Amino acid sequence: MAGRRVLITGVGSYLGTELARRLERDPEIEYVAGLDTRPPRVKLERTDYLEADIRNPVITKLLPQTEVDTVVHNQIVRRPGPGMSAQAMHDINVIGSLQLLGACERSPTVRTIVIRGSAGIYGSEPQAPQFFTEEMSRLYPLRTRFQRDVGEIENYFETYSRRHPQVTCMMLRYQPAIGPSTDSQVTRYLGLPVVPTYLGFDPRLQFIHVSDGLEALLASIKNPLRGAVNVAAPGTIGLTKMIRLTGKTSIPIAAPLFPTVATLGRRLGAFSSLSPDFGRLLRYGRAVDTRRLVEEVGFRPRFDGVAAVEDYARTQSGKRIVPAFRDLVTSP
Amino acid sequence: MSVRPGEPALGREPPPSWLPPRTPPSGEATLFPVGAALSFVRRLREGVESGSDPVSALAGAIGGLPADAQEGIDRAMRRLAGGYSEDEWGFDEEFADALFPFLEFMYERWWRVQVEGTVHVPSHGPALMVSNHAGIVPWDGIMIGMAILKEHPLPRYPRFLVLNWAFTLPYVSFALRKVGGVVASPYNAIRLLEQGELVGVFPEGVKGAGKDWGDRYRLQRFGRGGFVEIALRTRAPIVPVAVVGSEEIHPKIGESALLARATGAPYFPITPTFPLLGPLGLVPLPSKWRIEFCEPIPTEEYGPDAAEDRRLVFELSERVRDVVQEKLYEGLVKRGRAFA
Repeated sequence: MAGRRVLITGVGSYLGTELARRLERDPEIEYVAGLDTRPPRVKLERTDYLEADIRNPVITKLLPQTEVDTVVHNQIVRRPGPGMSAQAMHDINVIGSLQLLGACERSPTVRTIVIRGSAGIYGSEPQAPQFFTEEMSRLYPLRTRFQRDVGEIENYFETYSRRHPQVTCMMLRYQPAIGPSTDSQVTRYLGLPVVPTYLGFDPRLQFIHVSDGLEALLASIKNPLRGAVNVAAPGTIGLTKMIRLTGKTSIPIAAPLFPTVATLGRRLGAFSSLSPDFGRLLRYGRAVDTRRLVEEVGFRPRFDGVAAVEDYARTQSGKRIVPAFRDLVTSP
Repeated sequence: MSVRPGEPALGREPPPSWLPPRTPPSGEATLFPVGAALSFVRRLREGVESGSDPVSALAGAIGGLPADAQEGIDRAMRRLAGGYSEDEWGFDEEFADALFPFLEFMYERWWRVQVEGTVHVPSHGPALMVSNHAGIVPWDGIMIGMAILKEHPLPRYPRFLVLNWAFTLPYVSFALRKVGGVVASPYNAIRLLEQGELVGVFPEGVKGAGKDWGDRYRLQRFGRGGFVEIALRTRAPIVPVAVVGSEEIHPKIGESALLARATGAPYFPITPTFPLLGPLGLVPLPSKWRIEFCEPIPTEEYGPDAAEDRRLVFELSERVRDVVQEKLYEGLVKRGRAFA
């Protein structure tokens, strides 16, 4: 397929900007458009920056004019950031995705839609299978607001996919991202002076290194599949091991007190990153099966779970005043 | 109990010769200070047994202490710095090895376990062990694992499907996964078997764990035969295991629905000592144990669609149940009195 035309939503985010940069350099891509209210992080060479709010129906007019054949939806907010209410996050996620799918209905040129969704849809459950495969998204009730948002997006997307069999609809379910240059729930959590944990719980966690996250998105644009695909690094890492590798000090909190402490921390401005989803993750953990990503999409992440955390830890060691226990022990 | 090393297990091809024999972990592989104390006693005993006088044996044993302490401290420091490995299931071999001396004590002195038929456990490749079950603490699973580690010519750590409720409990949840326990879900079992692991299941489930004293060694219904489906799908042989002794360690004389609701437990057992004596009541009684691994039932001969054949699944499930039940009765006679 020569001369593909791609539109990226959320181009103002780190991943969105990087994706646009990579696509610009690809000779097979004829045209790149970036939709966001925030401008791209760096000056892009040939990306058409469309300043528009994804929640606004105006994109229904805007999208057909770009005549793109591929839409990459990269604007699903995983945590309410500073200055963003839970309501605004819900609006961007659900109303934004709806508007985007509506705009795609009006664009006859669209052949591929790739959504960067979340593995949060599986939830974190003590009785869950230790590796979720793609068909297990309905095993447990959706407990948190973010989960319900993602569930709604997936439902709309499925309906769209049924109505438009000519369009390849691909749902990527990302595990939380970690890496030196990213700002995610995990990196914020690890950025706290002391990290709260559940007393007596050491869940298995699974991440995706940001660079692998970008490559996975590129691979999916190149080779889109129908349906959902899990995106995660192979292997898991225990929470305790992650905390020790990054040289953090943890403060275990008994499970019944955890919500109170989390609320208190949020009030004091200490941990704004502890969303209910992340709280459950800290207690029960979650891992997904990545066979579909490796075998069908043909992408094998470069970093496994431990390597991703170690890569993050390396860039953090210079930022401390008191050396980490790990550095004292392992120094030559 | 006689197993000649090198004897082909399961009557399959012998283990590849390049595979180094896995030695069971010794007392040294433990965390400080338990490890240091244990190896001190071991050295003292060796010294006395080798014929030297008590004073020089003691001196020799003390001489080894600083090295042990250093080793223990080094290991603790390394682990605190995150220098340990867990596989994707969260299994931590070093952690499991550290518990070995304690479990060895339970195995050898507390329950005096006799083992028969470890040759029937394949030394490599997938296999599904199916056993009777009793008690909410899965001592039977742990002792089956110990039997394989201690008596099998090529020992390996088995994985066990554990009652889901355990994974909601603090400490228990991660301790279980670190020693090879996984959530009792067919997806987990299939994935483990596909990876060539040795997996243990208790098809009686909660019904087995909550058996009354009078019902001991009477096998409950084997669910809907889910374990057979798993074995058929992964073409793993089924190894029936009969454990005698485990059903006497917590004589259940009643249960409390109220306390079960309050704690969220699937049932709340009342034994002569529990909850009367509090946590002390959880100490299991020292009955005499006998574990028998029976001849494996191959599943390779059935086609890949056999897992959907309800009749076959039910038949195989009943066959396994009959084997275990029969061996249980036999084992009870062979073992003799429980608390002798």
